[in-house]
Amino acid sequence: MTSTGLASTVAASTGPSSTGEQPLRPVAVNLLGHVEHPVIDGGPYRVSADGKPYLPVGDGGIVLGLSLGDSAFVPCADHAASGACLVHPDPAARHALTAYSCIGNPVTVRTGHAAGATGAVIGKRGEDGRVITAFRPGDLARMRPGDQVAVRSCGQGHRPDGLPDGLTLLNADPGLLALLPSVTWPPAGGGPLAAGVRCAAPSKLSGNGLGRPSAAWCLDLSLAPPAHGGADVRLGDLVAVTDLDARFNMGFRRGWVTVGVVVHTDSPLPGHGPGITPILTGPASTLDVRSEPAGHTGLTAAALKLQ
Amino acid sequence: MKIATNESGLITQILTGEVWPPLSDRHSFRVGPDGQPFVLPGMGGVTLGVHCGDPATGYASDHLEPGASIRHRDPAANMALQFLTCVGNEVRVETGPAAGAAGHVIGQHAYVLTDFPEATAAQLTTGDQVTVTARGQGLALDDHGAIVVKNTDPGLLRAMPGGTRPDGRLEVHVAARVPAEAIGAGAGMVSEYANTDLMGAYAGLGEDLSLGLESLRVGDLVALEDSDHRYGRGYREGYITIGVISTGQCMLFGHGPGPSSLLSGPAEAFHLVDDRDANLASWYHHTEAQGAA
Repeated sequence: MTSTGLASTVAASTGPSSTGEQPLRPVAVNLLGHVEHPVIDGGPYRVSADGKPYLPVGDGGIVLGLSLGDSAFVPCADHAASGACLVHPDPAARHALTAYSCIGNPVTVRTGHAAGATGAVIGKRGEDGRVITAFRPGDLARMRPGDQVAVRSCGQGHRPDGLPDGLTLLNADPGLLALLPSVTWPPAGGGPLAAGVRCAAPSKLSGNGLGRPSAAWCLDLSLAPPAHGGADVRLGDLVAVTDLDARFNMGFRRGWVTVGVVVHTDSPLPGHGPGITPILTGPASTLDVRSEPAGHTGLTAAALKLQ
Repeated sequence: MKIATNESGLITQILTGEVWPPLSDRHSFRVGPDGQPFVLPGMGGVTLGVHCGDPATGYASDHLEPGASIRHRDPAANMALQFLTCVGNEVRVETGPAAGAAGHVIGQHAYVLTDFPEATAAQLTTGDQVTVTARGQGLALDDHGAIVVKNTDPGLLRAMPGGTRPDGRLEVHVAARVPAEAIGAGAGMVSEYANTDLMGAYAGLGEDLSLGLESLRVGDLVALEDSDHRYGRGYREGYITIGVISTGQCMLFGHGPGPSSLLSGPAEAFHLVDDRDANLASWYHHTEAQGAA
């Protein structure tokens, strides 16, 4: 049994080794996702935080005209993620697809007009589970719901050499940190990991995603848009949340900090907003977070070689 | 509460449900704040020995639901049951050894949570049928247009202390004030379903997890700061939501004792009175509920 891929995956997903232990090697598992068709449950309207009915546009499926680097505050959109969302018709397989996929994992279209096109995982969303994938614009425009996409999942349980003691890396391809220009990787001299972020939000702005598993659910933040004095948060940006522990479920822990990648736009719903997929969480002493309200660069199509 | 409402215009619907079992899966264990695995009872079925007025925390339990946890077998009818049932509504047992006994709703938690006297609860089990007298959704306050009422039996509102003050604000008595940092699972959900778990009440765990909420009791009226529950549950600076603690002890991280939403509006529309006795047990014991219904 120990020679099978499944057994190796189980070993690698048992979490970070404690200090001084031999790091566990990450294991890749090929998964299959189906490009999602948006669903609307019952009547077409949702109700905004101000009590106004609205039709949710962009909440799942394939979204065109929105890219990494675009503003997370898009009028008339609700939880819109750039690219294609992947799901699976079997609920348990859908949860596994979501939990094991990591930001930066390579994906390949298997069927449909864009068969053979390659892309990458750029985020995940919760509840029933969705994996958000980015492609070159020409490839994405040829895709349609139902297309099958292979995900080379790898990263959960991986603890790279040089990660400060007490800091947890999650939802990240083993190569992700090196792709993020705002993260100093590897860190110098055993100190905290330095990460530039668009902004650092207090935990009280957290909404949907609290109390949910960080491996399979994003955390929505009630961030003010730039027009109301908030930071100019963009898709792919890194955003920090203070006093938040995201190792297992996400929740309040004084003195901790979590950094995530912005994966979808704002939402009119109360308790919802731009969502982050957490990638780093630990005591504040392990993560040197620096706000870069202007000039921040997060995850980009160029870094993923998808331009 | 001395207050003018539209109570005379409300209608009542008779709903049915049954005591629903606890639900688990073959993996059994869930994960606590420090990664500790646990298997703990409390959610679903009939949880004994904990009633309004009792401590909400300090039990070997997760998502403690006092009394009987009720659902409807049909999924759509169940959503109607969950949305239309209000805190304070009467619940009558129809089958089993406790048939004829009455209790009252203390909140929602994806189950309708019903407190019965201990002797009655001891006779209840999964599958027992109940009738719910659903009344309260649509309740509105004549003189407090900025405040939205949710999930509140008009009899409960009448029984609460406070009311309209000479300065026009609504006086509400609360046993605790809850900082926005405590809001956990349930944020982003509609305010007529389940409740808002409060973090910072993990009795016996680390100081870095505490927000000073370890002394909450089941049935306490609490004020959630910077919370707007008028159209769902979200953060909004300067808003207040009044809720009733309807669930207790949690070990699951990001979860905790949870208030069901009753009143929500701008902070300046309220006059809060700190009152340790602001608890359903003080004004709305099950025998009074029968009288008021």
